[in-house]
Amino acid sequence: MKNSNKMLEFKFERTIPAPPGEVFDAWLNPEIPGNPWNAAEKFILDPRVDGLFYWTLKRTSHYGRFTEMERPGRIQHTWMSPKTLGQESIVTLTFKKQGEDTLMTLVHSDLPDHELARGHEKGWNYFLDIFPRQFGNGSRKER
Amino acid sequence: MTNVLTAISHPTRRAIIGQLAHGPVRFLDVAKPFDTALNAVSKHLKLLERAGLIERRKQGREVYISFRGEPLREVAGWVHEYERFWNERLDQFEHYFKDKKK
Repeated sequence: MKNSNKMLEFKFERTIPAPPGEVFDAWLNPEIPGNPWNAAEKFILDPRVDGLFYWTLKRTSHYGRFTEMERPGRIQHTWMSPKTLGQESIVTLTFKKQGEDTLMTLVHSDLPDHELARGHEKGWNYFLDIFPRQFGNGSRKER
Repeated sequence: MTNVLTAISHPTRRAIIGQLAHGPVRFLDVAKPFDTALNAVSKHLKLLERAGLIERRKQGREVYISFRGEPLREVAGWVHEYERFWNERLDQFEHYFKDKKK
């Protein structure tokens, strides 16, 4: 991954025990834990097509504009931060009914693959956190 | 990187890494704690070697296996800030709904 022009994409899925409309609204409600605005120290949020958002946490600011807003199925917005090198990356959320639950998918695409965003130190700590747990589940025998 | 992820995906191979974490171990001693056949352990070692996680060194008649941590550090470096960020956010979001339902 030495090619700095390469774009990254990450996809996340969660099953949320509520109907799509409720999950959709919660994602845009800064009072609800887990959405990006809830974590912010300061934010501006105008969730409609061509509406803008801004939020800041630990002196890192994030900006974006909403490009799609189709309740209850889909939200798309751009996402700019120092970690995107000032370029617009894309965040797409979909909410699909799955019985009584909602399958929520978040795709963060067009992320520049850059050293700044790799979070080496954090990544390493994260890995160290999960690794012992995997050891614990292993088939190791004590001598 | 795929080689490293494959190598650490199996509990026996993670246990082998655990054994080697304290220093080089003779090949036969690596195999001792496991129920599996020597041949199977040998296959696990080959995968670990391919991933660069272990090194074999001959000392007299004995072959010693030692652990190399560098490839794991490289894998760890691949956790993108946003991969971590969204996972944390979405976990919180999911927990909020699960707690609410209780």
